[in-house]
Amino acid sequence: MLTSTYRIIKFAFQNFWRNIWLSVITVSMLVLTLLTVNILLVLNRVTDQAISFVENRIEVSVYFNENAPQVKVNDALTHLRSLPEVKDVQEIPADEALAAFKTRHASDPAILSSLDELGKNPFGPTLIIKAHSAKDFDAIIAALDNPRFRDAIRQKDFSDYQSIVSKIRQTTDEIRMGGIILSGIFFLIALLIIFNTVRVAIFIHREEIGIMRLVGASSSFIRMPFLVETIILSVLSILIVVAIVYPTLAFIEPKFNQYFGSNTTGLVSYFEQNGLLIFGSQFLALLVVTMGSTALAMRKHLKV
Amino acid sequence: MIHFKNVSKFYPPDIIGLDAVNLRVEPGEFISIVGQSGTGKSTLAKLLFAEERPSKGIIEIGGWDITKINASDVPLLRRQIGVVFQDFKLLPKKTVYENIAFALQVAGIPSLRVREVVPRVLSIVGLDDKAHRFPQQLSGGEQQRVAIGRALVHQPKILVADEPTGNLDTLNSRDILELLKKINEFGTTVVLVTHDREIVNRLKRRVITLEGGKIVSDVEEGRYKL
Repeated sequence: MLTSTYRIIKFAFQNFWRNIWLSVITVSMLVLTLLTVNILLVLNRVTDQAISFVENRIEVSVYFNENAPQVKVNDALTHLRSLPEVKDVQEIPADEALAAFKTRHASDPAILSSLDELGKNPFGPTLIIKAHSAKDFDAIIAALDNPRFRDAIRQKDFSDYQSIVSKIRQTTDEIRMGGIILSGIFFLIALLIIFNTVRVAIFIHREEIGIMRLVGASSSFIRMPFLVETIILSVLSILIVVAIVYPTLAFIEPKFNQYFGSNTTGLVSYFEQNGLLIFGSQFLALLVVTMGSTALAMRKHLKV
Repeated sequence: MIHFKNVSKFYPPDIIGLDAVNLRVEPGEFISIVGQSGTGKSTLAKLLFAEERPSKGIIEIGGWDITKINASDVPLLRRQIGVVFQDFKLLPKKTVYENIAFALQVAGIPSLRVREVVPRVLSIVGLDDKAHRFPQQLSGGEQQRVAIGRALVHQPKILVADEPTGNLDTLNSRDILELLKKINEFGTTVVLVTHDREIVNRLKRRVITLEGGKIVSDVEEGRYKL
């Protein structure tokens, strides 16, 4: 048993070396396919990070009329805090709003003198609302339409963050879809190449296979080297991918971090912590598919 | 013992390979199957090592009914039946030693046993001194000796030689014939498929003549009559 296993592995390596260019092409296609899958993974991670980066900066400022009764402001504050979409609400009283305004325009005497001319605080209280995510803003804006305090609100100021986020989502979704299609195409090509590799190997070894049958080699002994060769190709491909992915991530991560500031993407650590799962599952999927393709090629071309 | 019971083999659309052949070969016999091209000689040989299945009838080898043999049992049968062909079927990139060892290796025989058996077989076929040569460095007769050596490594009970001298000159043919006789003397049943008149006449053993897929003559110490 051990002797046969050793010989099967030996024959598989012989097949690999004797058709080295075919092996190189097959491994290249498998590597390309796996790289595309990993690029999609990185893209997913970076997109999530970009979205959370934007969402963390989203807020709505609600300016109340200068004479708005505090009870209405409190009512709005309580109501908003009770909403599940709201992450945080901060109240800035009218005095603080005025002080902040004055500080902001300290170098502009024209604005300051206009304020003096008014003779009263033109600012009402302000509420700064943070949501959990950009898509929650519709609900928050709708909640501000409540008749209990709607009339006391002078202005609602919010940038169109949702469209920014949906633009990020849309773009990344398009890239992701493109990536999925591309990896699908690469996968298909890889399968065809594997199929062809086995077909060619069977053709090259037809004489040897014929003699094996003649002298009493079992069907499994004849077939196994082709399957083992597929395993070799898959292992080699995944090792090359690992060898490419980690240094590349280490290289690009600082650039992403520079862009996102303190909000680090953690790409390297993500791949380090989940490497076994990520590459293990990729290897298993690759193995299932390539062995399926090999089995199909043997079924069609290897009559033993 | 080989026993063909009313064996027929048809090929589509309406070609008759063998037609109701009845044949008994006792252990240790040396038989020659003769006949013109297309009379079913090679079909009979292929049926023996399950390269073909009969359309009708029963084939028994040593009491084992191989008529509907399972694909998984074919390797076991082939380890008991050595086969030699006209075109030698050697692997050109393997040496004489490796070609013979190959038959043992693919059957899962341990390396130690391979190292024991191969030199012994090389000695039987008289190629001890050419173990490390490649087939193209050998004469036709020597190449056929390698093929016979490879057929012998499993110590088969039956050796089927399908036109083993077809590619050889008279001298080499005689050598091969002597080798087959020697193997037969060791107790192996030899089934020689040939249309080489001189070989058959030299042998003076049982001759079975086929014509149109039928046995038309079966003579002990026969001669080539066609």
